[in-house]
Amino acid sequence: MTVGGMSNVLAAKGLRKSFPGRGGPVEAVRGVDLRVRAGEVFGFLGPNGAGKTTTLRMLATLLPIDAGSAHIAGVDVRRDPAEVRRRIGYVGQVGGADLPATGRENLLLQGRLHGASRAAAARRADELVDVLALGEFVDRRAATYSGGQRRRLEVALGLMHSPALLFLDEPTTGLDPQNRANLWDQLRALRARGTTIFLTTHYLEEADALADRLAIIDRGRVVAEGTPAELKRQVGGETVLLRPGPGPTTPDRLRTLLDEQPFVRESRLAGDTLYLTIGDGSRTLPRLLAALAEHQVTLETISLSAPSLDDVFLRTTGRALRDAGTSLAVPAARQEVPA
Amino acid sequence: MTLLGQLRLLWWRKMLETLRAPVWVVMGLTTPLLYLALFAPLLRRLGGGPGFAHGGVLDTFIPGILVLMAFGSGMGAGWIVIDEVRTGVIERLRVTPVSRFALLLGSVLRDVVTFVVPALVVVVVSIPFGYHPHTAGTVLLLVLLCLVVAVTSAWSAALGITLRDIGSLAAVVTGLQLPLTLLSGILLPLSLAPGWLRGLAHVDPLYYAVQASRHLSAGDVADVAVATGFLVIAALAALTLVWATRCYRAATA
Repeated sequence: MTVGGMSNVLAAKGLRKSFPGRGGPVEAVRGVDLRVRAGEVFGFLGPNGAGKTTTLRMLATLLPIDAGSAHIAGVDVRRDPAEVRRRIGYVGQVGGADLPATGRENLLLQGRLHGASRAAAARRADELVDVLALGEFVDRRAATYSGGQRRRLEVALGLMHSPALLFLDEPTTGLDPQNRANLWDQLRALRARGTTIFLTTHYLEEADALADRLAIIDRGRVVAEGTPAELKRQVGGETVLLRPGPGPTTPDRLRTLLDEQPFVRESRLAGDTLYLTIGDGSRTLPRLLAALAEHQVTLETISLSAPSLDDVFLRTTGRALRDAGTSLAVPAARQEVPA
Repeated sequence: MTLLGQLRLLWWRKMLETLRAPVWVVMGLTTPLLYLALFAPLLRRLGGGPGFAHGGVLDTFIPGILVLMAFGSGMGAGWIVIDEVRTGVIERLRVTPVSRFALLLGSVLRDVVTFVVPALVVVVVSIPFGYHPHTAGTVLLLVLLCLVVAVTSAWSAALGITLRDIGSLAAVVTGLQLPLTLLSGILLPLSLAPGWLRGLAHVDPLYYAVQASRHLSAGDVADVAVATGFLVIAALAALTLVWATRCYRAATA
């Protein structure tokens, strides 16, 4: 697959799935359309129980599709699941490493079951040991691994046959912040090597940190789709934080001055820090700086913060993502990530 | 990759698992040897009595012990499968082009090997104590019992993958194990039993295996009980393997 190409590795339309439940069938997925382009990391974000995993399992040939269509690397998932399995890697929520075997034995078996020769599988295993930094422990039995080590092995297992698309279901759930950050780095490194990744997550930070594009799912439907930046722009309003430097302009006077500017929607003063709500920051910030220069204001600090995906979720569903799920799993630490 | 190639890889994966947990190998041997040491002596006085027509008690008892070993060898498969479902191994393998039949058979064949090795030990160890196995008969006997292992192993794995719960699996397996064992005449020949019990035994497939195994061990290869035993067990093995493969195919965690 070409890196940065615009061809779709995955195209799904109108996916539906319902399960029998008390008082009639429960619709878990209600008409989901998705497109994943070659070379991108596609994030599928939603609270627990939103239908993320069910959608992913249908795409990965583990669950029959009730209605709708899905093609992966040009192959019809409903018609030819066996061929789809040759083209995808899948790392489930619980993992799937064979614990009594060593990491390397796991990798070699996975490669050979995908039809690689012994030598080719060994070469590919060496490659992945490098990319995912498995060297220290790959020849130990997987039962002895830490959570982070096991997760890296499992990602490597999904990549042994160089799939056109790698599915990761909640890849960092259960990892501590340090291991989560490490895995993010490794996933970015994989993308840099041209791997296309489809990942589900209920962590906003994760979607923001990793996904080139993402879809937000709630109650079985996609409620928003785009790049994280686009989605956040739809919310409208970014925040500029200002602190004047020494000079005649006090924070109060600065506030009065800036409130007159047409691009400032709202201002708020907390201590000597001024918070401004503005429209599209990339366009407004130059105008703000020009206004400041015109009035010869010196600044100690200025920063722009984009709205979070939490704001996006709140706006599209009317609920906060953290409260929407059935489980209240919240990452232990907020990671600072580039917007 | 051919089915045979896949099978070899998946079987070897299971063998490594066993070889790395030698406690199971040892346990597999101690149980039959304990029967020989602690139960067989009880039978000595029965020698020449009804049901022990072939002379030495061991000639009646050892084939029964071998059937018991075969019956038990595959029963653990379900527990292992539940563990593999829980850790996602089955799911991972299901998203590869691997044949579901090879997946099942890999673990069945491991159970066959872990039966045959201790079974041979039991046969050899019993000879000095008065067991007189017929060579060709014993070879056929082991073939028959490998089919029994295949039945129990596939059956237990299919139950495990369907029930996904160790408690329920244990209830079903132990619930069936005892009546099937008692009715088969493994421990004592059913010729000692009253008529109704002998009649009831005919619904137990294991009964046919036990009957066939006593004849095979004695060298009565041409006896009709041998043919019946093979027929019943082979048919059952085919059915169980087909059913278990379907369970593997349908399994979703």
